[in-house]
Amino acid sequence: MTLNPFHHSQVRSTSVALLVGLFVSGPAFGAFAPGGFSVAVVSTAGSTTPTNTVAPVSATTWAATGGWTFGGASVSWTNNTQGWNSLTSTGFTSGNVVIRNESAAAQDYTITIGMTGVAAGPLVVSGSVGGQFLNTSFGLGSLTSSGPLWSALVDGATARNEFNNTLVFAQPFQIISLGNANFSNVVVPTSTASTLAIRLSVRMSAGSEASFTSTFAFQAVPAPGAIALITVAGMFGRRLRRR
Amino acid sequence: MRSAWCCSIGVALFTASVSLGAVSAPPFSFSLAADGVAGGGNVADFGTVVQTAPTEWLFQGSYHGNSGTALSWIYLVDPDPFVTGTFTVTNETTTTRDYVLDFVLPVSPALTASLLSGQVSGTLTDSDGSGSALLTSISGGFVYSALADDSIVQGLMANALQQVTSVNGTTSFSGGSFGFPVPVSGPSINSSIGIRFAFSLSAGDSASFSSVFVANPIPAPSVLVVGCLLGVGSRKRDTRVTDYADRFARRS
Repeated sequence: MTLNPFHHSQVRSTSVALLVGLFVSGPAFGAFAPGGFSVAVVSTAGSTTPTNTVAPVSATTWAATGGWTFGGASVSWTNNTQGWNSLTSTGFTSGNVVIRNESAAAQDYTITIGMTGVAAGPLVVSGSVGGQFLNTSFGLGSLTSSGPLWSALVDGATARNEFNNTLVFAQPFQIISLGNANFSNVVVPTSTASTLAIRLSVRMSAGSEASFTSTFAFQAVPAPGAIALITVAGMFGRRLRRR
Repeated sequence: MRSAWCCSIGVALFTASVSLGAVSAPPFSFSLAADGVAGGGNVADFGTVVQTAPTEWLFQGSYHGNSGTALSWIYLVDPDPFVTGTFTVTNETTTTRDYVLDFVLPVSPALTASLLSGQVSGTLTDSDGSGSALLTSISGGFVYSALADDSIVQGLMANALQQVTSVNGTTSFSGGSFGFPVPVSGPSINSSIGIRFAFSLSAGDSASFSSVFVANPIPAPSVLVVGCLLGVGSRKRDTRVTDYADRFARRS
């Protein structure tokens, strides 16, 4: 391919690259590091350190697979997390968490899946959660939550709660669908954010299992200055194309 | 003499229960075909297995064998037999893929006749934030098929179509059940039970399924006859005991 400085696509990509360069030359957190992903499990069953393996899926997305087991209670997860983009302050985490109680008594679980970086606010967040409860005991199984079962957090503050005060019963070897919840365009009035997280809080009877799939994505609300810069860059590109 | 017999029977039972506890995990296996590209193996080779009861094992693991497909699971199995658990599959490619995933468990002992029950439920998620996700049956077939000796004995979610239409959205689906609350009669099962999942999944998206398949043996007629005889025998003995008690009461 011969380089034509006036070819439309090349001019467009040049101006976009210029714009990207302007932003990336500032803070250097465009590249996501696997350390930006964290999982914490707190359970009445006991305390131990989770194991977690992080591997790249693409240039900006990492897959985390891990587990936590103590005294018959276990949690396992597979979660994809996209790095924080310094240009748009965007990112997301999406995945599945399976909680199992093989102990002899009901157990409480709090699982927090976090992603860390620096994002300029205010932010617009969206996400979803869905799940099912499976009773593999020979008695009546139950899943409950005191307050929200699922929360989306920005720097520890709640951005969204779903599945409030859940109470579900299942017969032996019965699966109960917990339904789903979706939200979008929720504005979080923060100037900067360094930790975004999903938190699951649930109590499960002995011999039961719950599976949750959830996503949490954020994007910065474009500041007036950024909008003006993008407009100028667009006009500049258009002028180049005319020439 | 009688106490010696009781002791020896007790020791034998204890030894049997201890040896039962040390039984190795059954060769629970899976096979995954993604657009015809096959993979799989022994589930225990791709994660951990823990014995949770004398005849129950919990398998947890993950698999990245087929390029562009991430699979993880947690399954509780009993060769007596049942298979139950959850798996999640993510299509990390840029095109829709057809998946056929089998989880197969050898049964022990064989069942001359069976009573079956099963259920499936799940979620579909727009994992890549594209604004849509789609899960469908392959050619209108079952998404969930209960297998006995590698043959389909029950199916759920025929002509399935689940979709997400919001960015980063999730939808839950209850895929139905069979044999709840009254199990349905099934065939004899000699070698294995299993669950087959067959579905198309859109690019960049995830699906998670929780499922159950239980096969209970129907007592053979001879067992029923023996049971009846035992019942009649014990009733007769009870009557005799009552007679003796009456006689004893009359004497005194």
